[in-house]
This record gives sequence, structure tokens and C-alpha cells, in this order.
Amino acid sequence: MNNPTTKSKKKTIIIIALAVLLAALLVTAAVILLQPKEEPPKEPAKGVVGVITDNWDPQVSQPTSGSASQSGTQIPGYSAATMQEGDLSLKLRIGNPKDNHVGFYATLKLSDGTVLYTSPLLEPGQGLEEVPLTQTLAKGTYDAVVEYRCVLLEDGKTPLNSAESGFKLYVS
Amino acid sequence: MKTKKMLTLALAAAMALTVTVSVAAEEIELTPASPEGQTEVTAKIVGAAGDVSYIITIPDVVDFGVLSQPDNDTEDHFADKAYKVTAKQITGMNPDEQQVGVYVKNQGATVGGDPKFYITNKADSSKSFYYDIYDCPAAQIADNTANINANAMPYAIGYKLVGFSETGEEVNGTLRLNQNQLYGLNIAEYVGDYSGYMVFYSMIEDI
Repeated sequence: MNNPTTKSKKKTIIIIALAVLLAALLVTAAVILLQPKEEPPKEPAKGVVGVITDNWDPQVSQPTSGSASQSGTQIPGYSAATMQEGDLSLKLRIGNPKDNHVGFYATLKLSDGTVLYTSPLLEPGQGLEEVPLTQTLAKGTYDAVVEYRCVLLEDGKTPLNSAESGFKLYVS
Repeated sequence: MKTKKMLTLALAAAMALTVTVSVAAEEIELTPASPEGQTEVTAKIVGAAGDVSYIITIPDVVDFGVLSQPDNDTEDHFADKAYKVTAKQITGMNPDEQQVGVYVKNQGATVGGDPKFYITNKADSSKSFYYDIYDCPAAQIADNTANINANAMPYAIGYKLVGFSETGEEVNGTLRLNQNQLYGLNIAEYVGDYSGYMVFYSMIEDI
């Protein structure tokens, strides 16, 4: 036979169990909801990525003299670029000057052939200010080059003469 | 009454635990610190790193136009094509110490390999003709004027064409193809479109 005291004890136990369960649920919910959102791991660039603008400007002052309707293709050149070990992007103004009449495919690579970035077709006036990299680099000084492969704008593939701009890449 | 007390205590403990976890989580969210501003750049760099320091202009194409088969090969039958490479803009460089070096090579050329430049039949790559590069106009080419590709290519980046010191400097050069290469050929087998590609390499180098 159940007496009132036994009933009361059972009730208490059930209430405590429910309270503990509720507390556990609250804790679990708090942990899940308030946990800092993990940033997605930095994925190395794969080929065609990066912010390409339509009004890319090499930002070098225009010559004070010379013919305005100069023939040929303008190729940007660089002194150096810097980045930190672990970085997966590089501040480097890669682009196709707006006065050109050809398309560019730009490839950033090291002297050992390691490709760090490949652009899509850059029409005149298009370019990047910061280049995503396929991989980061260890500290050191590297011989790097931006290869500008020139093509006819009409079809985007007929090759023309091409150019390479060499520079030092310092990784600190 | 006792039951109410126990229930209250249990709920209070649960709430306290929850608040503690919330604070910890919030602290974690605030943890990431930007490492920006801690970079120590020790390199000596001309101008701002990553900026365009100079612009050169190169010829778009190698186009000799229509080539003709000569009726003899006892004298030269040159087809000359003018080209121009220009220092359109150079900024922030000390011309007493540095220059923009410009090199040129035939596409695919290797150090010490075949020194000639080629145009190749687009339909049949086994048919090609060579040409040479001069760093002066055709009118200035004398019998003893050497083409820049007279010897085996010394560097992987090509033959040195010019070193630019200032904006506006230019090379007015000549591409020269001797049409004697066509002499005696069954020209019907060689008709077609030919193309060749030069690769221009530039860099800032110490003088």
C-alpha cells in the first residue's frame, strides 16, 4: 500500500528529475546557440576567382608627352610585392589597361613554375587589386612573374605576342 | 513546501549554469584578434609594394604580310617589318641605379637552344620560316650590324633588348625575314597563314 509520505517522495523525485532535465536542455541549447560560429577554413583559390573590377586603373601617372594613339599593347610592370606567411591573398594590381585593344589572361607564378593565380579573360579596363592565391608561401624572397597572355578580343582565344613582368615577392 | 524549495533550488542551479555558459561563449566570440598592423616589411622596394611601377608597350603581332618566292638566292631578299617597344611610364625608379630591362624570346625558346625566331604554318607546324630581330630601324642595318639573336640565348627570359631609364624611351627595331628561304620550294605546298609569337619579359634591374 502506498502511504502519503511515499507518494510525496516520488513526486519530489520526479520534479527534481524534470528540473535537472530542463537544466540540461537549457545548457545544451545555450552551448549550441551561443557557440562562436566557426569560420570556414581558408580555401586556396582554384583558378578563376578574385574580385575583378571594370574600371581598373594601373594608377601610374600618364606621360607628359607622346602620341595619344599609340599602337601596341600596354603591359604593367612591378617592382615588388609583400605578404605574410599564411596569407592566401596578395595585394598586386594585375589588370588590362583601358587603352589596350586586346584581351589578357594573367597568370601569377613563381620562377619555379608554381602557379599562384590564373585570371579569366580580362578585357581592357578590367583588373584586380588583390589576388587570391592557390597556396600560401613560407617566409623568404621569391622571384615571381605575372604572365600576360594576350589574345584577340573578338574571340578571346587567338593568341598574340605575350609578356611577362618579373618582380620580387617578399614573404615575412 | 519542501518540494517547492527543492524545485526552486534546482531551477536556480540550472539557470546559473546556463548564464555561465553564455558568458563563456560570448568571450570566445570576442577572442579572435586581427594580426593586421604587425607586419614588418624589411625589403627595400621601389614605390608601393604591389603597385604598378611601370608600363611598357609591346607589338601585338608579328605580321610580315604576303611573302614572295624570289627567283634567285644569290642575293638577299629581305622582308622587313618595323616594331616598337616603348617605356610608356616609369615611376619611382632612380635611373642612376636601376632600369627597366626588357628581354625578348621566341615562344618556347630555351637557353642555349636554337637562336632563331619563327613563324609557323597554322595548318602544318612542320612548315616554318625563321626571322631575326634587330634593335634598330631597317635603314640603319648595315652588313656588319648584328641581330640581337645572333648567338645562343643566354637567359631563360630571352635576349636583352633594351634597358629603359625614363618614360618615353623607345626601341624602333626591325624584324627581318630573308625570303631566300622560299627559293626552290614547291610553293603550292607552303601556301597558307603563318604566325609566330614573341614573348617580352621586363623587370626592374640594377645597372
